[in-house]
This record gives sequence, C-alpha cells and structure tokens, in this order.
Amino acid sequence: MRSLLGGVTLAGLVAGLVMGFAIAPREATQGNVQRIMYLHVPSVWVAYLAFAVVLVASIVYLVRRAEAADRLAHASAEVGVLFTGLTIATGSIWGKPTWGTWWTWDARLTTVSILFVMYLGYLLLRGMIEDRERGARFAAVLGIVAAFNIPLVHFSVYWWRTLHQPPSLVKPGPGTMPGIIVTALLVNFAAFTLLYAYFVTRRARVLRLEAEAEA
Amino acid sequence: MVWKDLLVERRSKETLNALFFFGLLLLFVFQFALGPDRERLAGTLPGLLWLGFILSGLLGLGRTFVVERENDCWEGLLLAPGDKSAIYVGKLAGNLLLMLVIETILLVLFGFFFNLDLTNVLPALAVVIALGTVALAAVGTLFAAMTAQVRARELLFPVLLLPVEAPVLLATVKATEAVLVGEPLGSVAHWLKLLAAADVVYVAVGVLTFDFVMEG
Amino acid sequence: MADNWSFVFAAYGLAVVVLTAYWRFLVRRERELSEGSQVLREGSGMSEQARHPSP
Repeated sequence: MRSLLGGVTLAGLVAGLVMGFAIAPREATQGNVQRIMYLHVPSVWVAYLAFAVVLVASIVYLVRRAEAADRLAHASAEVGVLFTGLTIATGSIWGKPTWGTWWTWDARLTTVSILFVMYLGYLLLRGMIEDRERGARFAAVLGIVAAFNIPLVHFSVYWWRTLHQPPSLVKPGPGTMPGIIVTALLVNFAAFTLLYAYFVTRRARVLRLEAEAEA
Repeated sequence: MVWKDLLVERRSKETLNALFFFGLLLLFVFQFALGPDRERLAGTLPGLLWLGFILSGLLGLGRTFVVERENDCWEGLLLAPGDKSAIYVGKLAGNLLLMLVIETILLVLFGFFFNLDLTNVLPALAVVIALGTVALAAVGTLFAAMTAQVRARELLFPVLLLPVEAPVLLATVKATEAVLVGEPLGSVAHWLKLLAAADVVYVAVGVLTFDFVMEG
Repeated sequence: MADNWSFVFAAYGLAVVVLTAYWRFLVRRERELSEGSQVLREGSGMSEQARHPSP
C-alpha cells in the first residue's frame, strides 16, 4: 500500500513540475518568477492541512488515549513545520526579485512565521519530555492551543498590515487568473497533498517502530 | 481555597518586589538601547509599554507553580478532590491580580519617566490592558503548569508562550497607540473584539485542558 | 534579470533538496528500526533452538 501511495505521489509531483514549467505560461506582470508560486502556495496549504490534522489528532488522543492518534499528531506537526519552513523560504526567494528585499512583514510571511515558531515549540516540547505518556498529553494540549490561535494570528496580522483602514476593506483576492495557471496550481495542490499523506504515513510508521523498539 | 489564597499572597509579596525592580530596570534598558531622543521614544511608547508587560509577565507567570514544586505541595494539588479546573481558575485569578499590579506600577513609572498625562485616557487604557492581560494570564497559567513538570522550564516557558501571544501583542499595541493619542475605543473596536475573542478562547481551552496537564 | 530564472531554480532546488533529505531520513530510519527488530527476533529464535535442540 505504501509503495502505491509513494508511486502516485511521485507521479503527482512530476505532473506538478510539468504543469509549472512546461504548460503554464509566462505570467504577464511578474515574468517567470511567478512560477515559484506553484511551490509556495501548495506548501502553505499543506502546512494548514497538517496543523488541522494535529488539532483533530490531539483531541482524539486526549479523549481516547489512542497511541496512534498521538503518533499522527507528532508526524503531522513535523511535516507541517517542514512545509511551513519551505513556505517561508520560497516566499522569501520570490520576494527578493519581486519586492527587492529578502524579507518583508507582509501578511502571509508574518502569519506563516508565527505558525512556524509555534509548532517548532510544539516539537521542542515533545523533545524535552522523556516520559512518553506525559509528552503525548502535553503536546496534545499545546496542539489544541496552537490550532485555536491560528485564526487569531490570521486576523491580527492582516489588520496589522492594512494599517489605518478598518477591516471592512475588501481583502485583495487573487483577481482573475488565467485558467491554465489555476489548473497548474490545482495540480500542484493535489501533488503536495499526496506528498503530505506519504510523509505523514511513513513518519508515523517510524514512530510506531521506535515505540515498539523501546518496549 | 483559603489555603490557595494564602499561597498566592505569599508568592505575590515575594515576586512583587522583584518584578518592581525588574520593571524599573527595563525602563533604564529601553532608554539606554534607544537613546535620549524623547521624540523617537514617544513614538514607540505603546510597544515599549507592552514589551514591559510581557517581559514581566514571563517572569511572573512562569513562577506560577514554582512554590508547589519547591515545597512538595505538588502531590497535594494532584490529589485535590473535584475538578482540577478550579485550581486553574484560582491560579488564573491570582495571576491576573499579580499582572495588573505590575502593569499599574509600570504604567506609573512610564508616566513619570516620559512625562505623560494619562488622566484622560486612563479608562480606555484600562480596558485595553485588562483585555490583554486576561489573554496573557490565561495561556501563561496553563503553560506554567506544563513547564513546571519539565526540565529546562525557564527556557521552554517563554518559547511556548511568546508565539502564542503574538496576536495579542499586535492587538494591544495597536489599541494602546490609538488610545494614547486620545482616540475613542470605538475606533479600535476590531482590535478589542479580537482580544475579547482571544480571552474567551484561551480561558475556555485552559479550563477544558487543565485536567489533562495535571494528571501527574 | 527580467525573468530571474536563477531565483526560480533556487526555490525549486531548495525544495527538492529539503524534501529529498527528509524522505531519505524517513527511509533510513525505517530501515534501521525494522532491521533492529528483525535481529532481535532472530536472536531469540536462535536461542530457542539452542535450548531445545531438535532431536
């Protein structure tokens, strides 16, 4: 089963690359730099997906004390941090030629950075507790707090960046993107989601083997 | 609960003095780091004020359960009959009181050093400070209970608390900015609503998950 | 300069490096752990045989 998921994931990633480079056109205003978005946007989507899974798995663990839920939370948090870091890096690399600077406190980069540090703290907490059961419990509580914090981070950062205007201002949407670009994005979304599932299943399996080895 | 109140009071007296001096030192440090230019400092005043609150909070809140750990009262807490959430609420109330006292002291010191006239803005400022402090104390109390049982707690507590409080910091500084220049609370209603939402969420999560943190 | 391909390749290159490294970490870890448990199982199997030699 695992090899099937792995195979499909690989196929998806290749398809995403093809879409991003060969089939999607050179973007009108930004030039080819825009192609980084096929990495950056799916990464941030995977990160949010990962943290949502952490929330659910954390609640399930606290209610049912299922070790599998704890392992899922741990694995998903780790993969989430991975993709969050990737989001920040690709966003920064995209920003340098576009805005002229490696770093800017725009809404997305700021939000993602806060998430990055929050869930890095989650991994740190897990690493610092030797007792497996206590580590699982505390991590679950932290996972819940962090997840509920995400919308607060979202709104506060967004309002912070739109300065003196009240939040009734219409949020700038993606506008009208050419259909082919949207398609390329969607293909990459799917590919990255598969990659997330693949990574999490393997990571959770490693965690289970580690637990069995200690027993 | 009376026993708990006495504990709170004893710890508060100990910590209050230290935190008062800490606040004073912070003001000196801010001044030294940012230079004698009054104008420039005045622009950053809301930020500095909340930096002061949060840094003092890190010290004060981090110590919430230290007394129990040091004096072997921890098992007593764990074995206490009934819902452990009552302990959380009790500690939260104590922490709120502690924080509000510290913040009042810091506010007075700020007013003195920066020659501020706060009389007109005080009610509005109080609302902002109250909302922000509940958010700080709610998560701080929960995390303090967690990190009290972990090694390297002094490192882990700020590392966990600060990212979570980032939106609170954003909101309170923005609201304080507006309030200090005399704008009505209505102009920052969205920030206040965010803070209120944060307060509700954090306290609710704290009450609901405290039991899991205190299982021993 | 207009198209900044170097940035595009930098971003994609970074992604490939990081994701591949993580994948290799997972594969290596899983192999270590399953080999380790296999050795344990074989070891106990062998000692069983030593204690109960087949007639």
